[in-house]
Amino acid sequence: MFKYYLTLALRRCRQNLPMVALLALTMAVGIASCMTALTIFRALSGEALPGISPYLYVATMDAREAVDKDNPDYKQPDSYVGLVDARALVDAHRARQQAALAQSLTTMGTADGKRSTQAFGLMAYGPVLSMFGVPLRYGRPWTAAEQASNAPVVVIDTRTALKLFGTEDAVGRSVTMGRRGFRVIGVAAPWKPRMVFFDLQRNQGNVQGQEQNFFVPAQAALDAGVGPFTSGECGKGSDIPKISFQSAAVANCRWVETWVRLDTPADVSAYDRFLSGYADAQHDAGRFAYPPHAGLYGTQAWMTQNHVVPDDVHLNLMLAGGFLLLCLVNVAGLLAARFLRRQGDVAIRRALGASKRHVFVQHLVETGLLGLVGGVLALPLTWLGLWIVRMQPVSYADAARFSLGVFVILLALSVGVGLLVGILPAWRVCRQPPALQIKLA
Amino acid sequence: MRHIVKPLFRHRMMPLLVVLQVALACAIACNALFLLQQKLVPILTPDGVGHPDRLIVAWDMIPKGQPWPAPRLLEVERALRGIPGVAAVGMAGALPMTTNAYMNGNVHGDGLHAKGDTSVYIGDHLVDVLGLQLVAGRDFSAAEQATQYKNIGINDNGPTIITQALAEQLFPGGDALGKVVRIGDDADAARRTVVGVVAHLMRNKFGQDDRADIDYSMLFPGIPGNWPIPVFGIRVSHAAEAAHVRKAVKAIVQRELGTEMVQGIHPVYEMYGDLRNRMLARSKAAVWLLAGVSLIVLLVTVVGIMGLTSYWVQQRTRQIGIRRALGARRGDILREVRAENLLVVGAGIVLGMALTYAINLWLMRHYELARLPWPYLPYGAALMLLLGQLAVWLPARRAAGVPPVVATRAA
Repeated sequence: MFKYYLTLALRRCRQNLPMVALLALTMAVGIASCMTALTIFRALSGEALPGISPYLYVATMDAREAVDKDNPDYKQPDSYVGLVDARALVDAHRARQQAALAQSLTTMGTADGKRSTQAFGLMAYGPVLSMFGVPLRYGRPWTAAEQASNAPVVVIDTRTALKLFGTEDAVGRSVTMGRRGFRVIGVAAPWKPRMVFFDLQRNQGNVQGQEQNFFVPAQAALDAGVGPFTSGECGKGSDIPKISFQSAAVANCRWVETWVRLDTPADVSAYDRFLSGYADAQHDAGRFAYPPHAGLYGTQAWMTQNHVVPDDVHLNLMLAGGFLLLCLVNVAGLLAARFLRRQGDVAIRRALGASKRHVFVQHLVETGLLGLVGGVLALPLTWLGLWIVRMQPVSYADAARFSLGVFVILLALSVGVGLLVGILPAWRVCRQPPALQIKLA
Repeated sequence: MRHIVKPLFRHRMMPLLVVLQVALACAIACNALFLLQQKLVPILTPDGVGHPDRLIVAWDMIPKGQPWPAPRLLEVERALRGIPGVAAVGMAGALPMTTNAYMNGNVHGDGLHAKGDTSVYIGDHLVDVLGLQLVAGRDFSAAEQATQYKNIGINDNGPTIITQALAEQLFPGGDALGKVVRIGDDADAARRTVVGVVAHLMRNKFGQDDRADIDYSMLFPGIPGNWPIPVFGIRVSHAAEAAHVRKAVKAIVQRELGTEMVQGIHPVYEMYGDLRNRMLARSKAAVWLLAGVSLIVLLVTVVGIMGLTSYWVQQRTRQIGIRRALGARRGDILREVRAENLLVVGAGIVLGMALTYAINLWLMRHYELARLPWPYLPYGAALMLLLGQLAVWLPARRAAGVPPVVATRAA
């Protein structure tokens, strides 16, 4: 029966090609615009570190140690604290895992000075590699003892190892950073989060994560003259100005942020209490100048708070969704007109014994077929849409890539749209009493 | 009228679908056009910079560690001034369209209430370098230009040149020259005496929104101290010399400051016109996108209304024939179909306006969007009515063309 309906549908489509083309094209344009926006939205939503980031939280507080006359209000939650406070939070071991970190950009070279490269990396206090799940190819992360003794050790990624030493297994070699040589104790696989979520101030303007080429204990790096990319917020008593770059003189600055791993809601509320307690104690002791308003933010909440994904992405998705809806209503109307024009045929079929259900299914097959044609047309249109987005000067241009997942969604969407759009007209046409229709016809 | 309204209720589906389409189209198009208008603001606002093809901007040079001291930067400036073909050189904390840093302050006239969120450009020889058009007062004196601030300079007293738009905002209807502008609300906030007014100068962080204060800027003379990201502006006498001057600028800056820069971040040396195009490219792309979407939405709606109406007319061929046989003229039929369309589209517009407003409210709550200005509603309504009439033109003519003899034919 299905096959018969299909040939029937095909034959009917051929009878009025311009109309069919119009219907399919309208659907295709709606589907393609929706798919383009959806592809970008999908690439920019979800977990920043799959399986890990939903359990990560960042500690925020107003840790300013001096009164700031120009800026007395604490309007935005601030994740930057001084290294002293970050160490206290990490060393308290109140979470399952915890580490403080800051984005750095520095020159790494071989001991003989023959090869060097610019590298992004993290200065950290605590087991940042295991907390973020950075896969190690060779060697090991630094130990607590190495960190405590400010030993000059570093973990680099395979890309940097290849660039500097021509081999991936660079464990035991020495790289020069700042004024000093650092012993490579581990080599990680190339690693970057899907989206930026940590140290957002120093990664401003990015949406997709930055590849991190090295991981180094913070104090050892500072001792060698390697600082964070920007100095963060520096208070009174520091000899460096409000903003400076790559400075290691950050003793009086708030420049690291603390991330913790918490697995259950109970852990989260317990840690929240601990954090508030710690911050309030610092304020009471006179170290923090303002009430600290300490707070914990989950990865997603933190990214939303800091507008990591541009509003445009959401607005465009809504615009495309609204447009698809309009196309659906439009096609439903045109289909209804098309079906109802053929009421005579339907009436004869009904009089000959076809049930309402049969008529309904027959028309749904026809609209489903139209949906499929629309989907096929939407495929190149989606590809075109994504290509246009890639040409745009936007931070997420790179996310506009056609993938298998996109194709599957598109296929499902087009058949779904075809059926959805057909329900009303098909129902309308099978509701007619047969006798009246024959008479009218 | 009754014979127009009544059938609409007897066959509900067709008019309902039209109403729904018009409402959706209205809501989407109004909101999209509103977004579009906002994106147009920075593109259409004059930035005040004269002859963009004669201005070279050198920026994104970032010192490792400590900022360069003012004397060092003045030395570079002197070297740049020595390039043949250069008309003026200035150094500033930021220039229009450079986006890695900006200085803003909430300013008000001394003793007055009107405020303006204002961009502050601190640098030397900026009026000449940017080619600003002075409409009142004077440029800064040589002594004022030579000021070296201990800090950035935003909290220091001195002279200032402001834009006409800001002058109008702070001192409505009055003369701004000689008046004192204060930055911030504190009792000891800096005092700046207005010595000149320029026609336009665009702020350098225009963001995405439709801001009335996009032309609120002020100039302070002198060199900002302790400022880590200096920008050089170099004006050449003739556009033809720009290319070789640009090369020379790059060579001098690299020679003087290159070794002290953060490695891995490359300074940019570009013509102001190119910089402006680059910075506005996003807004322009969004304008094209939104314009395209609005156009397609309206097109789809017109086609939809046309299709539904022609079916609707075809359905009633016999009735129309009977009416014609009973004495209705062609014009009557034409008018009736149009009136019916007016009614249905009107209902869609009412629904659509409510929807437009609701969507705008929702967007305002969840995104940083402004309120939709009310004129959008009547203009949108007029546009939809016009499109509705346009869509119904062909079907109406066909209806009017039905001969009375149809009434006599068997069904």
